Amino acid sequence: MKLKHDRFTLSLRLATWMALPMMFFFVGCGETPEAPAASSTTETAMDEEGMMPARRQKAFKKIFHAVPSPIETALLLERSGIRFDAGALHSLDNASGYATTDLQSVNLGIYAGDLSYSVIFNQNQQSVDYLNTCRRLCDGLGVGDIISADLIDRANNNRDIRDSLVDIVTETFYALNGRFRENGMEEVSGLMAAGGWIEGVYLGTRNLNSSTDDLKLRIAEQKMTLENLMGLLRSYTPTAALTDMMTALGPVEAAFAGVTITENAAAATAAEDGTVVISGGPEVNYDEATLTAISESIAAVRNQYAK
Amino acid sequence: MTAIKKFPLAVLALVMTFTVADATAQCRTFTKKRCLPQLEDYVQNDNYNTAVLIPGDEAELELTFFGDRAYRLLVCGHPVLGDLSFQVLDSRGNGIYDSADKESDHFDFRVANTQQMTIRVQVPQTDAVIQHEGCVSIMVGSKG
Repeated sequence: MKLKHDRFTLSLRLATWMALPMMFFFVGCGETPEAPAASSTTETAMDEEGMMPARRQKAFKKIFHAVPSPIETALLLERSGIRFDAGALHSLDNASGYATTDLQSVNLGIYAGDLSYSVIFNQNQQSVDYLNTCRRLCDGLGVGDIISADLIDRANNNRDIRDSLVDIVTETFYALNGRFRENGMEEVSGLMAAGGWIEGVYLGTRNLNSSTDDLKLRIAEQKMTLENLMGLLRSYTPTAALTDMMTALGPVEAAFAGVTITENAAAATAAEDGTVVISGGPEVNYDEATLTAISESIAAVRNQYAK
Repeated sequence: MTAIKKFPLAVLALVMTFTVADATAQCRTFTKKRCLPQLEDYVQNDNYNTAVLIPGDEAELELTFFGDRAYRLLVCGHPVLGDLSFQVLDSRGNGIYDSADKESDHFDFRVANTQQMTIRVQVPQTDAVIQHEGCVSIMVGSKG
C-alpha cells in the first residue's frame, strides 16, 4: 500500500514538474498582440510567430483538401454572363430558424454563397444584410466575435467599394475556417464549405435556358470541384452530419457523372508578356440533359437544407 | 483517491489540448502577418491550408484552377524551416513547375483550361541537434 502511495506521489511530482514548464512555455507562445519592442529579442519574436522546438521526430505527409471559395465561384458566374437573380437567394428570414449546429453550419455556407453573389453583383445593401445574417449564425456556432460590430460597420462604410467588400468577405471566412480548425470544429468547416459550394452551383443553374455556353461549361466543370469537396468531407473523422451531407450529395454526383472529362497532359509556357500560361489539361464534354439533371439535383439538396 | 490519481493525467491532457489549439492560433497569426500581404492584389481563397511541420515533412494540396484566370500560388513557411521547395503537378501527376531553381516562394500563372492540379511542398531535412517546427501555409489567390 505504501509502495503504491509512493509510486503515486512520484508520478504526481513527475507529471507536475513536466507539466508546469510546458504550461509556462506555451502560455508565452499564444496569439497575443505584438510584444513591446523593448522586451522582444529576435528569438522571442520568432517564437511568437510560428516556431518552437519540435514536439515530434517522425516526418509525415499532410494532405490538404480545398474547394473554391464562394467569392471565386461568384466571380466565375459574373464573368460567364449570368444576370443577378434576387429571387434565387435564400430568404434572410429563415436564418433564425436553424437550431442545430449542422443546419447552422450548412446554412452559414449557403448564406456565404449569397453574400458573395451579392457583393460581386454590387448589391450593396443586400451584401450588408447577408453579412449580418452570417453574423447571427456565427453567434449560434460560438464564433460570433469573428463578424464583430466593427466589421459590420467597416462593410457598411465600404459598401460602395466592391474590392473592399471582397477583402472583408474573404478575410472573414478565412478567419472562420482558421477558428473552426483551432476549436476542433472541422465538421462545421466542412459543412460550411459544402453549403457554399451547393449555393454557388444552385445560383449558376437557375436560368439555364438563357445561359451562355461559357456558363454551361463552367457548370459542367464543377464536377472537378465536387471531387475536391467530397475529398474534403471524407478527410474528416466521420460524423452523422458529414455522412448525411455526403449522402445528400449522392444524386448530384450521379448527375455530374454525365459530364465526361478526358485527361490530357498540361504544360507551362511563357506568353509574350512573360506570364506563365498552363495550357492543355482536361477536355470537358456534356449535354443539355446532363445540365438539367445537375440543376434539378442541386436544387433538391439545396432546398433540403435551406428550408 | 481516484480523483487525485487522475489529476496528473488531467493536467497533461489539458496542457496538450491547450498546446495544439495554441499552435494553430499561432499559425493563424503568422499567416496573417507574414503570408497574406504577399498575395498583394490577388483575391485570397478562404481555405485554411496551414499546418505545423518539421524538417522532412511534406504537404500536398489538390485544387481546381479555373480557366482564363490568373493565380498566385504562395508557399509560406517560418524561416526556421529553411527554404521550402514545391512542385505543381497536373491531374496525371506530371510536373509542370518546380520551385527548386527559382528562389521564389510564389508562382504566378494563368490557366488556359479549368483543371485540377496538385501542389506538393517539402520541408528540407536538417542536421541540427534540436529540430524546430514551424507554420507552413499554402495560399492561393486569384484575379482577372
